[in-house]
Amino acid sequence: MPQFLKEYFNRNGIGLGSVMLGLVLFWTVGLIIMPQLSMLDFSFRPNLPPPEIGGPKDLYTLENYKYLIFGPEGGSQDYNAVDLRVFYRTLIAAVLVTIFNLMLCYPIAYYLAQTKGNHIRVLALMLIIPYWINEILRAFALRIIFGETGILNNVLVGMGVFDTPFDFIRNDIALYAGLGYAYILLMIFPIYNVIESLDRNQIEAARDMGASWPRIHWRVVIPYAKPGISSGCTMVFMLSAGALAAPQILGGPSSLWFTQLIYQQFNDNSDWPQGAAYAVVLLVTCILLVLALMRLFKVNMGDIGK
Amino acid sequence: MKNFSLMRISIWVYLALFFSYLLGPLVIMSVTAFNSPGFPRAAPWECLTFEWFSALFQDERILNGIKNSILVGVGTVTLSVSMGLAGALMLTQIWPKLRATYYTIIIAPILIPGVVIGISTLVFWDRVNRMFGLDADSFLSNGLFLTIIGQSTFIASYCMLVLVARLQRYDTGLTEAALDLGATHAQAFRKVLLPFMRPAIASAAVLAFLASFENYNTTTFTFGEYPTLTIELAQKVRYGITPAISALAFIIVLLTVFAALFNEAHIRRKELVAAARKSATVEELGSGNFRLPGFLSSNTAAVVLVVVAMMTIAVVGSATVYSPQQCIADVKEQKRMETEVRIQELRQRRADEAARRAAEQADQAEQEPAVEAAPKPSNNSGFGGVFAPGALQDDGADASEEEPEKPGNDSGFGSVFDPNALQSE
Repeated sequence: MPQFLKEYFNRNGIGLGSVMLGLVLFWTVGLIIMPQLSMLDFSFRPNLPPPEIGGPKDLYTLENYKYLIFGPEGGSQDYNAVDLRVFYRTLIAAVLVTIFNLMLCYPIAYYLAQTKGNHIRVLALMLIIPYWINEILRAFALRIIFGETGILNNVLVGMGVFDTPFDFIRNDIALYAGLGYAYILLMIFPIYNVIESLDRNQIEAARDMGASWPRIHWRVVIPYAKPGISSGCTMVFMLSAGALAAPQILGGPSSLWFTQLIYQQFNDNSDWPQGAAYAVVLLVTCILLVLALMRLFKVNMGDIGK
Repeated sequence: MKNFSLMRISIWVYLALFFSYLLGPLVIMSVTAFNSPGFPRAAPWECLTFEWFSALFQDERILNGIKNSILVGVGTVTLSVSMGLAGALMLTQIWPKLRATYYTIIIAPILIPGVVIGISTLVFWDRVNRMFGLDADSFLSNGLFLTIIGQSTFIASYCMLVLVARLQRYDTGLTEAALDLGATHAQAFRKVLLPFMRPAIASAAVLAFLASFENYNTTTFTFGEYPTLTIELAQKVRYGITPAISALAFIIVLLTVFAALFNEAHIRRKELVAAARKSATVEELGSGNFRLPGFLSSNTAAVVLVVVAMMTIAVVGSATVYSPQQCIADVKEQKRMETEVRIQELRQRRADEAARRAAEQADQAEQEPAVEAAPKPSNNSGFGGVFAPGALQDDGADASEEEPEKPGNDSGFGSVFDPNALQSE
């Protein structure tokens, strides 16, 4: 038995130590690492009926990835324009949702963190309550509001802004509002946590030196809150790029989210390898984007999740 | 000074806008649960009704979904809290060089999209199943098992974060002392560490249950024969929405508000008791009869809690005796009249048009106006018959007489009747 294992069992006892080790190994290897590797492996395989799996036809192939880029073989187009456009649109929209959320949440997080008083508790409570309502129901609530005969259209038509009801759902406005709505809390909390630990004297000092409010935020608060901001942005970006419920409920009939393509491959086409390939592409692209942005803004991985 | 007050006002305006974006949808959704139209809407208000609640409680699939959700929730809480605790304990003990890698691995599931976790779970366990040569309906491809496994993958990470925060304040000397005094490792764990961790374990369990209850992205790939409540809701919302869903949402909102208020009142009461204990004299403390603050005194959350509870009881009480039938009939009648007026107008306009066209083309075709005029008298007999040409014109939407505002026809009739509906308000 290696030295560190012996030490480990000395410290925790044989019974408890092996239960702990077993649980951790099951979680990390059995639930996190192996399934991801298995999905990666699966994405390089052809779509075969169950009896042929593991047979002579079960060879590694790049077919599933080629499909995303070039479309079906012998297709009329050079590139798989439909799927690629969906992919591109999903990423752009997720970035926009993240920026929108950041601009919306930064002032609130700053206000909550730097103000003292009883009403802060009430506001925090009001922030948390919507978060415990089901994701589906939150999307449903927005659909009621943005519907063609919804309350927003009633108000806007009543005020004379539009002559006829505006189709928010077909124009994806409902979708963006819904995605932003769903992840507000995940943006606020990391920023709040960091700003709360900011010494108020720093702000006072900057103000005494004659700095204006925008300048104080730009030079003092934001640099300090950078870990919180980046971890909030990472979470919102990853979750909105990987969202499925909101696009299914609030998305227009003609516009798809990339996760919906994955869902279709799995459930409607029952082409699992193809779906797995799309999922791998989504995961890898998102991780690369996040890493690139973190490098750009000089934030460490260890700051995430604090 | 003036600048300062301007900023205050803008902060309050901003807060108001922000919270109306956050809470407004929930309020409107709750209101639609009490309105009688078959399509959930807050305005125009028609009749106060409770029928959507009874519709909800008669829905087999919703009830079944709740049952499955609880099953999955219990499994997920058990698995993810124990894995989270083991993971957190391991984090404090692992070889320092491995720690960063280990932390990245166990934190990663939070960032991996739920869809990806669902797919990888499905694919991996399908393969394990095949490796063991089991059937397609074996334990390993069971929806319940897969859903619990898939959800626990990332919920355990949440639990781990909650537990690590508390574990960092744990003095390992306590465990060592227990071991020195002759406790076994299991005893030291159960009697020293576990009681210390209990608050964190409780909040991790609540968090895990709620996260499991509302999860959709992962579950949608793994649920198999066990659709959870969220899955059922999503299917209902995607294929036609009814106020019964609003009713369910209202119940969930109410429960959440209750839980939040109760928690808040509990914390506040603890603070008050601690304060009272501090200010009490030694004699009072010694005799044990110092005055504890009442549950409601200077405890806003408790007061609000009681008020909300009373209101709920009042609403439920009135729901059992209240019947909206008369109101619904009135509204129906009113709508019928409006529709009739509108149709009369429509017919008038069409008749005018026909007359004009007839005048223009009188010399070309003499039988054409006759053909057009012929069906009209027969239409007068039946109301629905009159409606038919209109319905045909509006891309064949299936508009029935009783419900001219069905969601199906919002292409044509929804907008036609909208201004009218507003007038009636």
